[in-house]
Amino acid sequence: MQISTEEMPGGITRVALDGRMDIAGAAAVDLKMNLIAGSAKKLLVDLEKVAFLGSMGLRSIVTPARAVKSRGGTVVLFAPNEMVESVLKTSGIDTLIPVRHDLDAAIAELG
Amino acid sequence: MRATLTLENGMTVPDQSLSNPDPAWPEARLTLKSQLEDLTLVWPWVEAIAARYSVPADTQFAIQLCLEEALSNIIRHGYQSQPNQAISVEYAPACVENDNAEELVFTVEDHAPPFDPLAPSADAPAPAPVSIQEFPPGGQGIRLMRKFAGRLAWQQLPNGNRLTLAFTLPRSLSPSVP
Repeated sequence: MQISTEEMPGGITRVALDGRMDIAGAAAVDLKMNLIAGSAKKLLVDLEKVAFLGSMGLRSIVTPARAVKSRGGTVVLFAPNEMVESVLKTSGIDTLIPVRHDLDAAIAELG
Repeated sequence: MRATLTLENGMTVPDQSLSNPDPAWPEARLTLKSQLEDLTLVWPWVEAIAARYSVPADTQFAIQLCLEEALSNIIRHGYQSQPNQAISVEYAPACVENDNAEELVFTVEDHAPPFDPLAPSADAPAPAPVSIQEFPPGGQGIRLMRKFAGRLAWQQLPNGNRLTLAFTLPRSLSPSVP
């Protein structure tokens, strides 16, 4: 599991996840995700290269998203594949964190 | 003794490269200990099964998801995170009666106290969270299994549980059985 960050114009922090967000993948990115969430105000979680998402991986996304939102920030999930999006929808998290497939729409969502 | 790898964060996991020397012939049964690290053995095993039966990528995703959820529930809730308790997972292909399809059937057995994940109380509909602060950190596993498994069945054993998870394969995609 790889994780990389990019500061985008408009104060947006883009976190790109790459690999399988299974139990080991979730453990591998948790610390860094939480560090990023500690300072990000507008967080774009890029899921384009996430090949798998289980409930442990879901928690690794929800916990930092909750931290950002609790400080008044905004979070958007970007470009999940069809199966990953199906996991997001089954859990209901898509009703609390917007999911966007178009980068401009994702940026607009972050305000 | 099993070789292990240490991840960046200090978590130790079994070395998958040694666990499955011949991916073309996955073993029929995988035996795990009740520790979350052992879940890393499931991925290469399912991958080998998927290759053997030409399982479509979406179905392989569903199998991985359901097994990860079922096994992590057993470890964390069934065994209450006590280590060194046994869990076995077996797979077998099966024909679907009156249908031009085959199934891959996974059977998960443990010796934990009885727990029926299909009971209505196991996934009682909670009020929809209105904010992310209310989103439950756990409890997604059963919902995910119900959504992604083709068929789910639970049976109480004299000393444990048997969970059956079946995934339908198009017959044309499965290998010819000699």
